[in-house]
Amino acid sequence: MKRSLAVLTALAMTAGTLIGCGGSADTPAAEQPAQEQPAKEEQAPQAESTDTETAEAENSGAEGRTEITFWHYMSEDKEGKFVNEAVEEFNNSQDEIFVNAQYLPRAELMKQYTIGVVSGELPDCGMVDNPDHNSYASMGVFEDITDLYNSWDEANFMEGSINSCYYDGKLYGLPWGNNCLGLFYNKEMLDAAGVEVPTTWSELEAACEKLTTDSCKGLAISAIGNEEGTFQYMPWLLSSGGSVMDLTSEGSKESMTYLYNLIEKGYVSRECVNWTQADAEKQFAAGQAAMMINGPWQFSGLANDAPDLDYGVAKVPKADDGDYASVLGGENVAICTGANVEASWTFLTWITSKEKSQEICKSIGRFSPRADVNVQEMFEGDPLNSVFAEVMPNAQSRGPSPDWPEISAAIYTAQQEVFTGQKDVDTAMADAQAKIDAISQK
Amino acid sequence: MGANKMDRKEQMLGYLFIVPAVVYMLIFIGYPIVYNWIVSFQDVTALTLGSDTRDFLGFANYKAIFADVTFRKALLHTFVYTVGCLVIQFSLGFLFAMFFAKKFTFSKPIRGFIVISWMLPVTVTALVFKFMFAEGNGIINAILLGLHIIDQPIGWLLNGNTAMLGLIIANSWVGIPFNMLLLTTGLNDISTDIYEAASIDGATGWQKFVRITVPLLKPTIMSVLVLGFVLTFKVFDLVYVMTGGGPVDATEVLSTYSYKLSFQLFHFGEGAAVANILFICLFLVALIYLKTISRDEMM
Amino acid sequence: MKHLNAKQKNILMNIVAVIVACIFLFPLYWIVVNSFKLDNEIFAAVPTFWPQQFTLKAYQEQLGSLSVTLKNSVIIAIGSMALALCLSVPAAYGLARYKVRGMKIFVLVFLITQMLPASLVLTPLFLIFSKLGILNSYFAPILSTATISIPFVVLMLRPGFLNMPKELEDAAKIDGCNAFSAFFKIALPICKPTVITAACFSFVFAWNDLAYSMTFNVKEAMRPMTSAIYTFMNQYGTKWNSIMAYGVLLILPSCFIFVTMQKHIVEGMTSGSVKG
Repeated sequence: MKRSLAVLTALAMTAGTLIGCGGSADTPAAEQPAQEQPAKEEQAPQAESTDTETAEAENSGAEGRTEITFWHYMSEDKEGKFVNEAVEEFNNSQDEIFVNAQYLPRAELMKQYTIGVVSGELPDCGMVDNPDHNSYASMGVFEDITDLYNSWDEANFMEGSINSCYYDGKLYGLPWGNNCLGLFYNKEMLDAAGVEVPTTWSELEAACEKLTTDSCKGLAISAIGNEEGTFQYMPWLLSSGGSVMDLTSEGSKESMTYLYNLIEKGYVSRECVNWTQADAEKQFAAGQAAMMINGPWQFSGLANDAPDLDYGVAKVPKADDGDYASVLGGENVAICTGANVEASWTFLTWITSKEKSQEICKSIGRFSPRADVNVQEMFEGDPLNSVFAEVMPNAQSRGPSPDWPEISAAIYTAQQEVFTGQKDVDTAMADAQAKIDAISQK
Repeated sequence: MGANKMDRKEQMLGYLFIVPAVVYMLIFIGYPIVYNWIVSFQDVTALTLGSDTRDFLGFANYKAIFADVTFRKALLHTFVYTVGCLVIQFSLGFLFAMFFAKKFTFSKPIRGFIVISWMLPVTVTALVFKFMFAEGNGIINAILLGLHIIDQPIGWLLNGNTAMLGLIIANSWVGIPFNMLLLTTGLNDISTDIYEAASIDGATGWQKFVRITVPLLKPTIMSVLVLGFVLTFKVFDLVYVMTGGGPVDATEVLSTYSYKLSFQLFHFGEGAAVANILFICLFLVALIYLKTISRDEMM
Repeated sequence: MKHLNAKQKNILMNIVAVIVACIFLFPLYWIVVNSFKLDNEIFAAVPTFWPQQFTLKAYQEQLGSLSVTLKNSVIIAIGSMALALCLSVPAAYGLARYKVRGMKIFVLVFLITQMLPASLVLTPLFLIFSKLGILNSYFAPILSTATISIPFVVLMLRPGFLNMPKELEDAAKIDGCNAFSAFFKIALPICKPTVITAACFSFVFAWNDLAYSMTFNVKEAMRPMTSAIYTFMNQYGTKWNSIMAYGVLLILPSCFIFVTMQKHIVEGMTSGSVKG
């Protein structure tokens, strides 16, 4: 024993001496594999530039043009392909700028922005979920584009949307697309059960009771532990008169209790705490749920997963003594710190221009955030989109606050604690409120 | 004189063979561990990550994590998980080892096949167990319901206690063959003469097990348990993929919490502090392990 | 059992063993069988033990992203294997053949580093690699996964070199071989089976790694299969047929290596994990 101890001390000392020359010790080590195995040498340089190279291979017309990178989180098998089409159209429309669109899953994108500030690996421009915009702006991820915006003759966005791009009185991005939530329902199942489309919470519960069978749940929601969970909870919270700033109020607690009851009674699957909104869509498409809460960006997915499904969309049911409520979702685009501002600005103003905004938003299941696009008119006669278009103007935004990610974490954590039975509603909401209070006092 | 010179040349040659690997390990494991201690005393967040001058915080990061409820839970969960896994994988591993030590036609090939679970990527193991434990269409609920053991599907990974049990079962699936193999090696070293002698003296199977097998296997058992502890205590992939530490923080363990602090919340200082607590626990047990094997004349 | 004769006992034991193995290996079967199911069968409330409709759809859906992730996994696993072998085989030989001063310390270094988990060095390695600018390259996962294999291989190969008759090398040295050619021409060929097993282990360790690759390489184009399947699960958590199809592809190399050299693997596993 003594001997091992002595040896270990020696070992620790050897390691200790290494710190002294830490900086120099790192470099040769990094080169080591290249010397050790010649086979790798060929691949390694290629490795560092794979992204740009593959993009170049696809579009060989990039030579001599200013290249910029655009990050987005719309997955390639869904809305992402429309993003790529839009980017391609832009690349073909002029011969000055070449945009490389790169897809990263949402969580990865967020991580990359945060780390990119210091590692310097930021793209030129990219997409950001609107409630997070403030937080990244405060970290210095994005360029201040106030002056550019003021001199842009097409600068005309809806107030709620453009507000999410402001931080500390300066503008850090442009709204790209809006969305909100609604109730999707399977017409066949509702007809078979003789259920009317529910409009209030009591009606929803009654409908769930009739629709729930051994193999099918009444309703699918997403209560996952990230922003999506908060987003999905917000309409319930707001409808019963609750508020993010007062989670311990009767209205706030009522909404949580209501949802918990739906789960306890077996109308909503317990697995919703692990489900993203895409998972809820899969459940609905597969006939595992008669209704779901989701947004217009799922239309393309539903058409793909269940082409024969006959479904309708209604507003998210309101509390029995409350109003319809919806929450503004959507993405902004922004120029990253230290990027090619001029080229990025040209691209961003192209995709958010009146003409392109309408086109692109429609294809990716979003609504144009521009004040000069009348979405109600645009979708008149479209039974699905018109419901969302009607809800849109009253949709409330999350934040804007640089602390939103932390506030949101408090909310989705409370929701998960309640739904998994770890805490009762009162305790979970009080704990969440305490966290939010601590954040705002910071 | 000449012999001495030869000796020195031999020494040099020996070092040429050995030192590169040792240096490599010191650079990529030793140095990071030391660096981890430095970081744990500094204010390292996403904002200060790139700057060369970081504020020295003293024990502030450690104070912060010990005041943190989730950290205390993670510490407890890590021990619960480790002990749970050890109990299951050791007892079943022992049972398997004893069973397959019997000489029947296919004992060796079947024993060999079981080992495959140890070789599979833990990511895939975690995923398949997550799938099997699913509430709605998981096979485990389907079987239990079919046998009328339960009358309601269980949300295995949706409830804190059962989620931990699910993790322990999944990890044991990987650990059982490992325990079995090490114990088999030990069993093979016991001479059959001893058992025969005991049989002549009229000893029953159980008596032979308690009086002969266990005492003679004691060194092996010790090293299997301690090694098993170290390997289980450091769990990361399995928990990260299967439950992500959830629901909420019900299965958070030290390694996943450290990862979360560093790479999701970007509190690198606190992440490093949690990792160092993990290091201390592992180091203490590793010392016990080294003691057992040096007594075993392995060194 | 006592009234059974030896033959009956043997049959009974074999049957029990087969049943035990079937139950134990059920998860493996479950991965494979579910990868051949259609979406609606996966979502069915009652799981089926055999696909009602056998389909390769889940595999076809993966083909697009697979070419990149497969290439990444192969480069990382082979790179890490080559690096680990270059360093650890000579070290194992040196530790077995030369009575160098401080040998116990060296063995200890490997014993201890083998026990330390990836999660311990993730934060510091990330900071170091970010300073060196090798995040999002093949270097980061190769350099880091090699640390898993090196101690394992050293500890696994050393007993083999120790047991090798020293006379062979001595004879070679008399014939004019120097220390290095003795190593390459005599020792390596004799221990070839163990060295190949060691290579397989290093390959599998790097291939199976999730933590390092996931942390150091976040760009999609640099991601190996393990972190791609994890990301995939987060995005399409309930598409289990696709996840399992990916899983099947991910376990193929391990299974192949395992089936072809099972005996060596089982031996290597015990010596690599325990003995000093």
